[in-house]
Amino acid sequence: MKHILVIDDAATVRLYHRGILENAGYSVDEAINGIEALEKALVKPYDLFIVDVNMPKLDGYGFLKEFRRQDDALQSPAIMVTTEASGSDKQLGYMSGANLYITKPIKPNELVNYARLLLGETL
Amino acid sequence: MTAITISNEDFLKFKEFFYRKTGILFDDSKRYFVDKRLIERIQATDSENFRSYFTMVRFEASGNEFQNLVNTMTVNETYFFREEYQFKCLVESLMDEIVSHKKDKSPIRIWSVPSSSGEEPYSIAIYLLEYWSGINDWDVEIMSSDIDTQIIEQAKRGHYSARSVQHLPKPFLAKYFRHENDGYQICDDLRSAVEFSRVNIMETSEVRAYRNMDIIFCRNLLIYFDDASRRQVAEIFYDAMKVGGFVCLGHSESMSRISSLFRVRKFPEAIVYQKPLEHL
Amino acid sequence: MAFIKKTATPIHCTEHDERHTERDFADLVAELGAENETARRWAVRDLTPLPDASQPLVARLAYEESASVRAAILNALAQIGDHAAIAGLIHCLRSEDAGLRNEAIEVLKAIPQHVEPVIHTLLNDSDSDVRIFAVNILESLRHKDVEKWLIEVIEKDPHINVCATAVDLLSEVGTERALPALKQLKIRFEDDPYICFTTDLALKRIEDGSQ
Ligand SMILES: C[S@@+](CC[C@H](N)C(=O)[O-])C[C@H]1O[C@@H](n2cnc3c(N)ncnc32)[C@H](O)[C@@H]1O
Repeated sequence: MKHILVIDDAATVRLYHRGILENAGYSVDEAINGIEALEKALVKPYDLFIVDVNMPKLDGYGFLKEFRRQDDALQSPAIMVTTEASGSDKQLGYMSGANLYITKPIKPNELVNYARLLLGETL
Repeated sequence: MTAITISNEDFLKFKEFFYRKTGILFDDSKRYFVDKRLIERIQATDSENFRSYFTMVRFEASGNEFQNLVNTMTVNETYFFREEYQFKCLVESLMDEIVSHKKDKSPIRIWSVPSSSGEEPYSIAIYLLEYWSGINDWDVEIMSSDIDTQIIEQAKRGHYSARSVQHLPKPFLAKYFRHENDGYQICDDLRSAVEFSRVNIMETSEVRAYRNMDIIFCRNLLIYFDDASRRQVAEIFYDAMKVGGFVCLGHSESMSRISSLFRVRKFPEAIVYQKPLEHL
Repeated sequence: MAFIKKTATPIHCTEHDERHTERDFADLVAELGAENETARRWAVRDLTPLPDASQPLVARLAYEESASVRAAILNALAQIGDHAAIAGLIHCLRSEDAGLRNEAIEVLKAIPQHVEPVIHTLLNDSDSDVRIFAVNILESLRHKDVEKWLIEVIEKDPHINVCATAVDLLSEVGTERALPALKQLKIRFEDDPYICFTTDLALKRIEDGSQ
C-alpha cells in the first residue's frame, strides 16, 4: 500500500483528504504544519505529499525546500494546495520542489487522479 | 446531579484541540482513558458539562487548567535514564558533531533545564562517562536549572528512591551510588559534575548569564506553556546557544508546536533540533 | 573525569558579546541595520521597551532576511502592541512572502485583544486571503461576538474558501445559533463537495455536542 502524508493546519481539511485518499486505497498520515511534516517524513518514507501553503511555524514552501535539501530522504512527489494561486505563487511552489499545484476547494476525483498521476499509476 | 458524559463528537473536538496544542494524538483506542480523565477535570473545576469546560480551557488566560489537563493526560515522573534513546543520541551523534565544529579546546556546555530533582543532568553525566570516549579529550560543563529552589536542594543532595533508579543498569548503580537509608545516595564525583542553579526560564534577565550552550535539554516543560510563552522560551534558547547547537525536547513534545527558529535534524536515535549553522 | 564546574558567566564577561549596553534610541535604530545577525537581534530586544519603537521595527521588517531576526521583531511588535505595531503586523498579511504572512498571523493570534478593534475591517477586506487570515485570528479571540462574526461570514462572504475556513472554526466553537446559517451555506454551495463535507461535520458536532 502506498503511504501519503497530508499536511494542513485545518483539521477538517486533513479529515477530508484522508477520507478521499483512504477510499482510493492509500494509507494516510497527517501533519499540522511543515515542522511536524519534517519530523514525520524524515522518519518514515512517504510516496506522496499533499501540502497546504499557508500554515503556522513552517509553511508549505518552507517544508518542501527543507525536505528537498535532505538527500538521505526519499524525495517523493508533492502536490501543493492553495486557496488562491497567483502566477508568482505557482512559480514559488515549483521552485521549492512541488510537482503539481492545485487550488482549493478540491474535488475528490481531482485529488485522486492527481495522486495517481504522480504515483505513476494507471487510471 | 446528572452524570457527565463525553459524546463522540465532544471526543473528536477535544482530540483535535489537544493535538493542535501539544502534538499528542489520541486514537480511538484511548477513548476510555481520555473520557475518564476529562470527566475528572470537568468535575474538579465544577464545570457544568463538556462544552463549558472546553470553552474555559480554550480561553483561560492563566493557562492553569491547560496545565492540569496536560498533567492528567501525560505521564509525569522523572527518573534516571528516562527517555534513554535521547542520551544514546547524545553520545552516539550529537557530541561528535559538536566536537567536529569546534575551533578551540573550550569546554562543551550542556544545559539541562528544568532539572527537577536532578535525575536528568546526572543521567547525562553518567552517559557521557560510560559511553562517550571523547570525555577523555574534552572538558564538559553540565549546568542544570529549575525555578523551584526546594527541588534544586534535593537535586544537589542527590538522594534517590529505589523507584527513581530502577531503570539504571545494576553495575552503574553499584558504581555511582551508595545504598543508604532505604534509598540511594549519588556519589560526590557526580554531584560535583553538575552545577545547579535557580532560574525562571521565562525571565530574560535571569537567563542572560547562560550563553554559548552547545546542547540544551528541555524536556517536559514547554508542553505546559501557552503559545506565546513557548515562543518566548525558544527565543531565549536561541540566544543562549552556539550556532550549530542542539535542543532536545521530551518524547511527547514537538518543536512543531513551539517555534520555527530551529532546524529539524534526524539522527538514528532521535529527532533533535538545531540552531542553523548557516543562513537559510 | 573531565567534568568542570563553572557558574554561568555574567554577560559582561563573555568573549563574544555583541550586545552593547547603554545605547540610546538612535544608536539602536542604526544597529537594526548591523551586519551581524546577533547584533540585530539584540538591537530589537533593547529597543522593545523604549517608546516609539514600533515604527523602526516595522520599517526593518520589510528588509530583514534573517528568519531569527524577523521572529524577534514580530515578537517585539506583539509585546508592544500599540497602533503602529498592530498596523505593521497587519500589513504583513498582505506580504508576498508566505513565511512572513504566516508568522504575522501566529503573532496576531497570540494577542487577539489588540486585533479585536480592527477585526471587523479585516473580515471585510477586499482580498479574500486577508479575510481567511482574519478568520484564523478569530480562533483565539475570546469575545462574545466571535460566533456572530463567523455566522456573518458564512452568510455573506462570496468566497468559498473564506466560508470554508469559518465553518472549520464553527465546528469547534459553534452553538445552536449557527445551525440555520450552516444549513443555508450548504444550499448556497451545494455543488461543492468540500463545503458539504465540512458543513455536515460542523452540524453534526454542534447537534451531537449539545444533547
Ligand atoms: C515535569 S518536570 C520535568 C523534569 C525533567 N526534565 C523530566 O523530563 O523528567 C517540570 C519541572 O519544571 C520546573 N519549572 C516549571 N516552570 C519553570 C520555569 N518557568 N523555569 C524553570 N523551571 C520551571 C518545575 O519546577 C519542575 O521541576
